[in-house]
Amino acid sequence: MSSSSPSSPSSPLKISDTTENNLQPFYVLHKAFPKKPDRKTRKKIEFSPTSDTHHHYDELRVEAFELVWSKIDARIKGVLTDINTNVFDEIHQWVCESFGAIRSLGVPSSLEVNRSYPLVTDITSSCSRRIFTGLVFTKNVEFVDDLLTFKELGVHLKSNGCHVVNMSSLDFLSKNGIGGCVRSVLRQLVGVSVDVGDIGILAAWYSEIENFESPIVVIIDDVERCSESVLAEFVLMLSEWVVKLPIVLVMGVSSFAKIVNAPRDLLPFGVLQHLNPCKFTLGSPTAILDGIIESLFVKSYCGFDISYKVMVLMKNYFVRHDGTVTSFIRALKIACTKHFLMEPLSFLSKGILDEDNESFWIEKCGGLPESMLKYAFDLPSCEISDEISLTGESLARDLSEIMKMRKNWSSVFMCLYEAAKFHNVQLLEILCEALNPDSYNLRVSSNRQSGVGELYSVDQKGSQIYLAIRKVRDLSFSALSRLVQFWKNHSERIAEIHCQVIELESMLNSEHENKSLKLDETKKSRISASRTREKNTTKANEKAATLLEFMVKEYLKPVECAQFHEIVCFKHVGVLQSSLIGDPRKIIQVDLLKSHNYLHCSCCSKSGDVLLPSMHDTSIMYTLVQEHGDLINLHDWYQSFKTNICRPSTKGKRKIQSPLSKKRKELSESEVMSEASIQARFCRAVIELQITGLLRMPSKRRPDYVQRVAFGL
Amino acid sequence: MENEGSPHVIRRTTRSSSSSMPNTPNKIQESKKKVDSCSPSILDDLVSREEHVSLDTLVSNFPGRKLQILDILRLVGPLNSPMLPLYLYGGPSTGKTSVVLQIFRHLKRPFVYSGCRTCYNPRVLFESILNQLALHRRNLGNGYSSAKRCERPADFVTYLQELLTGVITSLKANSAKPGLLETGERASGEMVYLIFDDIELVREWHKHSGIISLLFKLHCYLKIPEVGLIFITNSSPDTYYLDTVLAEEPVHLFFPDYTEDELEQIFLRNQPNPKLYSSFLDAVLNPFCRITRRIDVLSIAFEPLFQKYCKPLSDLGLVPNRDEKRILCSYLNPHIALSTNEVFKVLSNSSLEVEENEEKAKKKENVRKLGDGQDPNDIDFHISISAKYLLISAFLASRNPATLDAALFDSTGGGDNRKRKRKSSETSKEQKEQGEQDLLMKGPGTFPLERLLAIFQCITSVAEGFVEEEQLKDGLLEVEVGDCGLMSDVLLQLSTLCNASFISRGESCPLEGLTRYRSTVSEDMALKVARSLKFPLSKYLYRR
Repeated sequence: MSSSSPSSPSSPLKISDTTENNLQPFYVLHKAFPKKPDRKTRKKIEFSPTSDTHHHYDELRVEAFELVWSKIDARIKGVLTDINTNVFDEIHQWVCESFGAIRSLGVPSSLEVNRSYPLVTDITSSCSRRIFTGLVFTKNVEFVDDLLTFKELGVHLKSNGCHVVNMSSLDFLSKNGIGGCVRSVLRQLVGVSVDVGDIGILAAWYSEIENFESPIVVIIDDVERCSESVLAEFVLMLSEWVVKLPIVLVMGVSSFAKIVNAPRDLLPFGVLQHLNPCKFTLGSPTAILDGIIESLFVKSYCGFDISYKVMVLMKNYFVRHDGTVTSFIRALKIACTKHFLMEPLSFLSKGILDEDNESFWIEKCGGLPESMLKYAFDLPSCEISDEISLTGESLARDLSEIMKMRKNWSSVFMCLYEAAKFHNVQLLEILCEALNPDSYNLRVSSNRQSGVGELYSVDQKGSQIYLAIRKVRDLSFSALSRLVQFWKNHSERIAEIHCQVIELESMLNSEHENKSLKLDETKKSRISASRTREKNTTKANEKAATLLEFMVKEYLKPVECAQFHEIVCFKHVGVLQSSLIGDPRKIIQVDLLKSHNYLHCSCCSKSGDVLLPSMHDTSIMYTLVQEHGDLINLHDWYQSFKTNICRPSTKGKRKIQSPLSKKRKELSESEVMSEASIQARFCRAVIELQITGLLRMPSKRRPDYVQRVAFGL
Repeated sequence: MENEGSPHVIRRTTRSSSSSMPNTPNKIQESKKKVDSCSPSILDDLVSREEHVSLDTLVSNFPGRKLQILDILRLVGPLNSPMLPLYLYGGPSTGKTSVVLQIFRHLKRPFVYSGCRTCYNPRVLFESILNQLALHRRNLGNGYSSAKRCERPADFVTYLQELLTGVITSLKANSAKPGLLETGERASGEMVYLIFDDIELVREWHKHSGIISLLFKLHCYLKIPEVGLIFITNSSPDTYYLDTVLAEEPVHLFFPDYTEDELEQIFLRNQPNPKLYSSFLDAVLNPFCRITRRIDVLSIAFEPLFQKYCKPLSDLGLVPNRDEKRILCSYLNPHIALSTNEVFKVLSNSSLEVEENEEKAKKKENVRKLGDGQDPNDIDFHISISAKYLLISAFLASRNPATLDAALFDSTGGGDNRKRKRKSSETSKEQKEQGEQDLLMKGPGTFPLERLLAIFQCITSVAEGFVEEEQLKDGLLEVEVGDCGLMSDVLLQLSTLCNASFISRGESCPLEGLTRYRSTVSEDMALKVARSLKFPLSKYLYRR
């Protein structure tokens, strides 16, 4: 990158204000991005005369960010709705059926509902005194994703005319008891806040004519977190009102096994028998994530891409750490925000969403100031070397090229993924491979060397793409024809492939006809016929596999291999990682050991690892801790601390002194620094270390030892 | 007081026929016929307005309860006769509440019912009773508020006295009113009965321990002879002696569990094809009765079984002959054994399965069978890798004694430990066994956070593969992360697991003042999780 370096945002304050507000939690405790401040100052000097135009571009970037993110957001919502609709409809249908079953026991009059005594129903019918309960199996230990789902379920049921109460474990605290949840029900349904929740009020409300015709659905989104006794009481109470109040429960359960195998975990037997359960399954987080990624990065192009490494990071973050779709989306949003914040030319990606993107780019790129153009042609991916072609037009051309390439990539990837589905590949896995520029380069180069045929070197045999291609060779006729049909629909953009697919299809069909003909024609020579059939199928499969190989080789070109891809593609994996995984425990310890990196004082920076008295007390103490094991003798610690801070800075090179010299030192320095002040400093540092959670204070068993609680180092 | 004869002339009272209170099993048609009235009178609100039931129907509705019904009728006494408090007790689903309610439907006398399950604290109980007596109807107009705000028992008694007097006066006036007689109607008299259901629950209202004795002594407090008290509970009267010194011993009446014959009669009551059902009952009732005689439990268990029983039959109206019966029985027998076990163990499972099978027949895509197409060894929910490791570490920390940690997680691993065990002498072995027995009885042990984190760190570093990958990934970063990639959010993961109740957060240790944790997952579950990580959990388990 050249010295002019307009790479940083000219005045990022505005953007960061608007975007960081939403993301605040992620910035707590995170290391500041180190290069930012000095970049900013440099630029201020450089661009002060043209600050107006830069302000203009900042605004453009904000605008582009808003446009792109709103598009992404809408897509995500769409995917979530699509995934949930089926389950929601099922639940609604079941609610209606349950309501019918309850009503078949008897339709009470409004007076009856208001009675305090229960309706006497036939005890031998298994519906009496049992509450229809939908156990919605969320398939995730984290419940963050499901909060929204259950809220939407509530909206869905409400729009279908049910009375809906959304409850969470907070309504089932043992502190508030049963009164808390009854109050919550009343507040949501009746709309009155009473000081004592009486289910009779609900009955009074329900008996009003306009409320009388629909079931009451009580949704509890995280049953496992509820206080068991309160939940049990709630169920028992409702079971007394079953006929009078047609209540249907919907409970979110993360693990089905827990309810089945260990009912005592959740509810006692006497309560369980009042439930009439039915199981529903929500989409697993992995499936939801696949859907979102497919819609955002594969099926269409939203003007924002993430690089291979970022994708791998986000994948790992999802698999290892968080596992919620919510946090994945948040990570995506951080990436998107950072991209538009850090990339001066990112406003150009608005053109991707534009109808007439060619003219948009030509207009915008033509009007770029010199410095920005220079920046663009200094991008690492830029391969143009001659000065003449450094024009806005060429930039615009290249951007269109990126877009075209990206669309081809999408179509081919869809074809590949469809083939890969035959051996149950997760979308994220194969997507990461398809995004990897290295493996693309390897594919291309190995192809050049070995020609057609062996596409993959030995160490790549495990690759998902390779497996997918190999799988195509073994596909049955029906599966293959389905696949080819899919390819036909998705390859229309690329004429070359489309032709071949049509060719393949006709080949497949003729084979099929041949086969059936042969079967009809000679039943005697069945063996030979089957042999030919086998052979033919292999031929078609072979062709399909070769075609897929060709597609992958020619068109599965990751966006990172294009010129100027930095404009549309977020690559700063470190930035994202430090935002996502704060790792505070680790950072605190690292920082304590290297405090001079932050303090930038003149005295310590030279010293390296040697302790100096001028260093921060806590830092000294923590460095000393490293010499001890799990238990630290307070006396030893204090002595070495004292030695360290009393040592004159000129002698700073020595680290640990022999006990003899220590003693001598003590004597000689005691005049300079009073014992009391050293003790005070020692105590303060210990307390600070305790507060940061690195130490535990002496226990009664070992009064003169503190314990280290340091993990992660 | 009870000897005081009724001084009043028995008169017939009238009632407006506009509204009625269905209080009947399976009489939907009747309730539909009724037009709701908006102007409540005392009789409308307090008397069961259901069609009158004769004594014979009453008795025949409750097989095996004839004695109790006659007893109650005798104890409640004829019209306008005061009564002693009545204490009905018996196991769950023996028909106590239903019998009482039906008797009042038969008697047509005003009563106030309050179930202590629904009225879960004194205030709700008091206000519910007062509302009923004041004929107060909560609605939107009055903001669903009660007639009177009443929290203290003293207030309750005062209000109750006021209202009861009012009600009784108007009852008297009503019965004195001539000319409004309707033929075929029975009198409702001048007595008001207060029925308290499930009063064993009142004892569990911790802060309000006095309420139970208040209820038992209500009779003395009120001093109104026209009030009858009926208590219904499932615990025997002996359990109340501690709570309260009764001024007047209530009359006890026990509802015994149904016998097998009675159960058969009850189950045959509403069957479309009693012959078929009776042959079914012959097969199932006996084995089930050995386990429970609760009708509600039995009816839940019988429903799926009866469906299985009928499966081979094409015509449900069929009356099976002896041979057919035998065939059907042999078909059913394996299911019975299964089902009797389930009644005790995992009823929800069986009912779920039933539910599932039904649903599956109806709409296949709707409900998936338990773990179909899945490896039974799979964990059926999503959990991140670091949470899995944490779960395993928690399991290990709970399962293994803390003293063993060093031996297990040092470089030599668990093999060393085993050797030492072999060397130990007989007595020490016995001691050890004793200790292990204790450990087993105590269940999973508790552990401090530090121990959990230490184990977590050890086992994550064991999983070399992941670490390497992690480092590959982290190689690009300015922040050198090393092997703690899985560590970073560990406290967040811990709270996740606590929330999902895989780990329970216990009381803090009194000595050190720190929160201790306990893993609540079963060994199977932990093994499953370990398998999904390819983590050799069994190597680290402390085996006896």
